[in-house]
Amino acid sequence: MSQAPNNPSAASARPAAGPGIGGFGGGHPGRGGPVAKPKDWKTTLRRLWSYFGKEKALLAFIFAMVLADSAITLAGPYLIGVAIDSMSPEGGYVDFTRLEIALIALVSAYATDGALTFAQGWLMAGVSQRMVMSLRRALFAKIQKLPLRFFDTRSHGELMSRLSNDIDNVSTTVAQAVVQAMTGSISILGALAMMLYLSPLLTLASLITVPAVFLLTKTIARKTGPLFKEQQVRLGVLNGHVEETISGIHIVKAFNREQEVIREFDAINEELCRVGIQAQIRSGFLMPIMNVIGNLGFAAIAITGAWLAVESLITVGVIASFLSYSRQFVRPLNDLANTFNLLQSGIAGAERVFEVLDEEEEPADRPEAVPLDRPDGHVRFERVDFGYRPDVPILRDISFEAPAGSSTALVGPTGAGKTTIVNLLTRFYDVTGGSIRIDGRDIRDYTLDSLRRCFGIVLQDTYLFSGTIKENIGYGKPDATDGEIREAASMAGAEAFIRRLPNGYDTVLSENGGNLSQGQRQLLAIARVFLAKPSILILDEATSSIDTRTELQIQEALLQAMKGRTSFIIAHRLNTIREADRIMVIDQGQIVEQGSHDELMARQGVYYGMFMNQFGHLESAAGH
Amino acid sequence: MRIFHPYIRKYGKWFSVAIFFLMVESASDLLLPTIMARMVDDGVTERNLHEVLRLGGWMLLVTAIGALGATIRNLIASRVSQRFGTDVRSDLFRRIQSFTFGSIDKFERPSLMTRITNDVTQVQNFVNGLMRIFVKAPLICIGSLIMAVHLNPRLAVVLLVVVPIVGLLIFFNMKTGFPLFAKVQAALDRMNGATREYLSGVRVVKAFHRFEHESEKFARANDEYRLRATAAARVMATFSPGVMLTVNFGIAAILWLGGQRVNAGQMQVGDILAFIHYMTQILFSLLMISFVFNMFVRAKASAERIGEVFAENGRMEQAPPSGNRAGNAAKIEFDRVTFSYEGASGDPVLRDVSFACMPGETIGIIGSTGAGKTTLVSLIPRFYDATSGTVLIDGVDVRTLDPSLLRRKIAVVPQKSVLFTGTIENNIRWGKEDASMEEIAEAARMAQAEPFVLSFPEGYAARLGQGGVNLSGGQKQRLSIARALVRKPDILILDDSTSAVDTATETRIKEALKAYAQGITCLVIAQRITSVIDADRIVVLDDGRISGIGSHERLLESCRAYQEIFRSQIGKEAKADVPSAQ
Repeated sequence: MSQAPNNPSAASARPAAGPGIGGFGGGHPGRGGPVAKPKDWKTTLRRLWSYFGKEKALLAFIFAMVLADSAITLAGPYLIGVAIDSMSPEGGYVDFTRLEIALIALVSAYATDGALTFAQGWLMAGVSQRMVMSLRRALFAKIQKLPLRFFDTRSHGELMSRLSNDIDNVSTTVAQAVVQAMTGSISILGALAMMLYLSPLLTLASLITVPAVFLLTKTIARKTGPLFKEQQVRLGVLNGHVEETISGIHIVKAFNREQEVIREFDAINEELCRVGIQAQIRSGFLMPIMNVIGNLGFAAIAITGAWLAVESLITVGVIASFLSYSRQFVRPLNDLANTFNLLQSGIAGAERVFEVLDEEEEPADRPEAVPLDRPDGHVRFERVDFGYRPDVPILRDISFEAPAGSSTALVGPTGAGKTTIVNLLTRFYDVTGGSIRIDGRDIRDYTLDSLRRCFGIVLQDTYLFSGTIKENIGYGKPDATDGEIREAASMAGAEAFIRRLPNGYDTVLSENGGNLSQGQRQLLAIARVFLAKPSILILDEATSSIDTRTELQIQEALLQAMKGRTSFIIAHRLNTIREADRIMVIDQGQIVEQGSHDELMARQGVYYGMFMNQFGHLESAAGH
Repeated sequence: MRIFHPYIRKYGKWFSVAIFFLMVESASDLLLPTIMARMVDDGVTERNLHEVLRLGGWMLLVTAIGALGATIRNLIASRVSQRFGTDVRSDLFRRIQSFTFGSIDKFERPSLMTRITNDVTQVQNFVNGLMRIFVKAPLICIGSLIMAVHLNPRLAVVLLVVVPIVGLLIFFNMKTGFPLFAKVQAALDRMNGATREYLSGVRVVKAFHRFEHESEKFARANDEYRLRATAAARVMATFSPGVMLTVNFGIAAILWLGGQRVNAGQMQVGDILAFIHYMTQILFSLLMISFVFNMFVRAKASAERIGEVFAENGRMEQAPPSGNRAGNAAKIEFDRVTFSYEGASGDPVLRDVSFACMPGETIGIIGSTGAGKTTLVSLIPRFYDATSGTVLIDGVDVRTLDPSLLRRKIAVVPQKSVLFTGTIENNIRWGKEDASMEEIAEAARMAQAEPFVLSFPEGYAARLGQGGVNLSGGQKQRLSIARALVRKPDILILDDSTSAVDTATETRIKEALKAYAQGITCLVIAQRITSVIDADRIVVLDDGRISGIGSHERLLESCRAYQEIFRSQIGKEAKADVPSAQ
């Protein structure tokens, strides 16, 4: 939707010399949705201004040009009037000296206007794009410093729209609205002054239409605003329905619901149509009405002017000047309303961008923080409490110790807090109570950067980036050689399928690896961790999407990788964790049991129950 | 654009009426300057107040007629364009609903969604624009030209110079501008892609601490976008002043030439005024026309994308019915079935699969990821048709059955649960339109969904967000099972449908199903052997082929693939083969 300013309404907003036309002014009402209202104009504008940085001088220069240009444009109609008056109305006699002087002035005014407009537009394009780029860069840099909490509580769609739509809105505001607002107000004031100077009486006649313009735009805007909002809402409902029924179309068909779904769609569609017609008609009146008012103004000036001219109170040239001044007066008035809307949505966009910029960042390293380099990997949780929201505790009083090089498995029902423990260990989140120590020191006393480098994590949902397979495996170690990458892949058991791909390691993956199966993606994620050679290994449901036979194949590789490393394994399938040094059963944020597989089985407690539930049949089946 | 013919037939008449009133409106705009010229020349010059007032009256009348035209035009245009859009959307939606899965896969779902929403709106806006300004612009342009030439053919020479220059400017602008805007869009897409990827992969980026890498990637896209957007904006910055300057110089030329003709007594001052007025009208209509072109290009692309959907022959072929209709008890047979998603030439997902499933039998299907399990069961309700071989239900080739009648006998619980906006009750009711509240509760109880449903204050009337966003994965699966059970189908297909449900609940669901499935032919796809161990028979799929059929015990003796799966799950092998961690 966002396009660089390529619509001629921007051009038509500029006051044209000569009598205007009826018809095209006024932009295109009825396109945009409801305009979001900014909360605090002044602060936002001031902050926006600060993003111009070194360009402030250039921007001031551009504004100066705009001002000068608007003044020069005002001279046009006056000079046309002078030129006309150099000709006697009766014909047959023209004062050529006067005409020449007027025309020379006119041509130079136009030439200057052209040059200024060009220079201004040219420079402005650079300034506004540079400014938007730096704003975008700031936002992206900020996003990297935000804690995971921020991303977990917000939809990606919403963030995306802040990064693209809102910023584009800002750029439109800067490029168009500000300039338009400036030229618009100068045109209005200037035209009014010139008109008063030329003939106060005729000014009065031409201003008859102004209250009508105000009144009508106001009433129509008041009526159309809510209608457009409603249209937007209906459109949202329609889009939601389409999204749902098309992405779930196999279910629609499986349950023979086509007719019902079509009926629902038609009802929503019909409703949208009804509101759409209303909104369209209401807003559609704006342009013809403006046109009529323009024509009426034209007629008023022509009639009054002609009458005054007959009475010899003014010259014909004055009528000519007036016709264009009145346009310069009315059109910007009309545009100003649009500009105001544009400005409003731009400022509102800027506010949403600033909201992100003002989010709390990941905590800075403590001043006494030291880097963590090649730790032994002795991990200790001491009475750790945590909740994603203060009122909902997830972990309560968790204490355990994982000696360097040991493996710990975390099991328990969904939502028990297994992944949360990992999130705390890697400082994706910070504990709310208690402490976590690595090699005897609180992890908050290490620099975050060095701490994270010690972990190798294979996550529940693997994430691959668009790029080649090689790049994806090498993600954790940018300077890896091809040999290292190959080795990591073969350790993870990914070598076989990579070789089968037409381009091998250079196969380009689409966004999020859509062209690989879930299992293959997970193998790549495992290879990625192998390559990074971390001190502490975390496998969070790493093999959940791999079928059990493939899993068996990479089991060895995983065990190999775990050797000599402190490792944490979260798994639903209990057979994958039998070999762990210690198994911790987590339920409702607490450790309810811990010990080795054999110990826990002997105890016949919670773990035993879970295990028998999964394997009871098989154990007994294997028995006979 | 043949697909739009029916709409043209339907709305063409009213469209023409709207255009007629648009012409009335334009004519009124065109007449005013001429009347004014007469007013100055006959009224002011002759000092004839009566004439001024008479022409003034005409002016007001013409304005009033124009206003009337505009009002009627607005009423008609708004209605026609909205109705047209509504119709296209509705037809498109119907069309998509009638597609086979093959056609849907071909377009991909997100693309179908944009077509039905954005693209239709784009075309609708264009049609609306046609009746508002797009047609008016050329009318005003040509009308002004005619009026100007009529007013004074000699002075029109200036137009002969100015109009082609402006036309040339517009031409160059479009020529350089359009590709530039396409490039801007492409750069924007790339930048958004970089951002989207970062957002989805934020855990990995943080875990591997690759901020610099991501920043660089983004900075590149950001910079590229800036350069292209600036270039595009600069083309516009050259274009507008260029046009303005040309026209303004034209006005000066008219004043100069006009002055000479007035001096020679060949022309009157009022004509010059009118001439200047027409000149600006021409200018703005030309600008508008360049805008129309721009809109047209976009609308055309959208119309083509809509056309592709209409042109897709997505209906399921139905062979003439042979023999009797399928009866009540359902026997399913696969007879040498081969299937490929790409048609006969593609890589087959199923190869020469043959097996039969007796009425009331429960069949387990097991195999590695990508072995073809889901594909196999989707041939039964005719989501896809076999590439070769036949699928028979009660001895009748499914291809001879009407898909909607066939599907009425089948209930599917898909791998990924799909729920819809609405209440829980409505969602379960999908399975059976006329189900009583008791039946719905019964199904929910069997699916072990009732406890959590009743934990909502509104119970069964609790509303689900789009796609059931407010439920956990396990809860969605249980509702999706209830939806299938309420149907009381002849054939029940469970596609790994308890993967997100904890083991205790799964066991309870299985118990309930055992009683329920009496007399229902049941196909159960599973990852874990424990889930299918009780089935009458188990089908082992390996790379699209059947590598074994039989009971658990028999397969354990005879089927190598099954043995491997078994060992991988029991963990015994792991213990024996793999050295311990220490």
